Amino acid sequence: MRTIALFTGVIICGLSVGAYAATEVIHQQGRVFSSESISVKKGEAVTFLNDDTVPHNIMSASKGNEFNLGSQAPGTSTDVSFKEAGDVQVICAIHPRMKMMVKVTN
Amino acid sequence: MPVRGSYRSTAFLATIASAGLCVLGFSTIGFGAAVVGESRKVEITQKATGGLDALKAQYRRPTTIPFPKDDPYTPEKAALGKKLYFDTRLSVSSAQSCASCHSPGFGWGDGLAVGVGHGMAKLGRHSPTIVNAAWSAIFMWDGRLPTLEEQALGPIQSPGEMNMKLDDLLARLSSISEYKPLFDAAFPGEGMKAKTLAQAIATYERTVVSERAPFDAWIDGNEKAIPEDAKRGFAVFNGKAQCAACHEGWNFTNEGFQDIGLPSKDVGRGEYLPGVIKMQHAFKTPGLREIGRRSPYMHDGSLATLEQVIDHYDHAGVDRPSRSDLMRPLELTAQEKADLVAFLKTLTSELSPTAVPVLPR
Repeated sequence: MRTIALFTGVIICGLSVGAYAATEVIHQQGRVFSSESISVKKGEAVTFLNDDTVPHNIMSASKGNEFNLGSQAPGTSTDVSFKEAGDVQVICAIHPRMKMMVKVTN
Repeated sequence: MPVRGSYRSTAFLATIASAGLCVLGFSTIGFGAAVVGESRKVEITQKATGGLDALKAQYRRPTTIPFPKDDPYTPEKAALGKKLYFDTRLSVSSAQSCASCHSPGFGWGDGLAVGVGHGMAKLGRHSPTIVNAAWSAIFMWDGRLPTLEEQALGPIQSPGEMNMKLDDLLARLSSISEYKPLFDAAFPGEGMKAKTLAQAIATYERTVVSERAPFDAWIDGNEKAIPEDAKRGFAVFNGKAQCAACHEGWNFTNEGFQDIGLPSKDVGRGEYLPGVIKMQHAFKTPGLREIGRRSPYMHDGSLATLEQVIDHYDHAGVDRPSRSDLMRPLELTAQEKADLVAFLKTLTSELSPTAVPVLPR
């Protein structure tokens, strides 16, 4: 019985994670983002993929959508979902030429 | 494309991890509403470098200087900016000019460990060169100023440096009769004001470009332009030592910020991004052009020679959370270190003398 309950729980959690599945993948090759601006719906996730040769530190200080991925090693990716509508300036704290805008819509 | 989910164990664990990382994300920046998911390793295919020729192509000099659209080059503006740059009357004491700390005689630095400001007081950091500032994306060791125009006015007004209030400076320059026609010629319809003062100085500074060095001749195909040990050093620079991860491109910088493990209490960029661990003790990566004329080195001027600089990188400096992940013991051999120094020496040109301008009276 406990096994079934755990299995059910895992399935439900899997579905909830699935809801956050990223629809956009932002690459970071050559110290630039692959897009200067994208538009996503509130709650949707964006995958930040470091396919560069050096670590990056992707973050945003835009009010309501602050995040900080810390040192992101080459060959790793992280999903970020945005909870507030508005314009979100995303930067790499290490490489000042890396800037992009995420427009979060309702 | 990434291989999604290959390292995801179960959805449940992923959710827990996501929540944990989310908390970490918030804790490093204070607060926030974005949800940060778990990190995944992904398979990526790095582009092949294409060999030495492709690598050398990344270091080819540009043929033109970039000027911003809102402050384009004119000869009148650059000539005025040069006079202002060398004019000691821009400081409250009339004893210091921009050139005091950024002198052509020292590769457009000052040859000191740390700068000397108002009243001969020592400043906290090494005076950076202005060579190739036209290509910079961000200014000051800590990146606190976004344009060269703003940078031009910063040291003038800083109490510790030239200590000159802008209103007082404009009044002083207005009292020097020969300045007014120069401003009118450079800025028709605008004349003398803080904005045009900054634009003139910045325009002149953008004309200060490193000259062709032996390295450039080698990049252009003259195999005899640099010695064999320097060619080996170029390979180490781009390979084992990973210098090019930050000192990339023809000006040998990507303008990035890294904590390179110097034992300094100065938090640098961290003052402006206090919640970002990797920005603590992080300073802007300087370009390496004219490096042979710019000792001592580092943001605190703590290393006297290129040999000491390479030893520092070889040992990787202070291991702390903010230290760049690129910093790690390199285990360079004595030969590799010597080759790196030989290579760096090829980045220094036979810099032409700079004529000091005749100043308005």
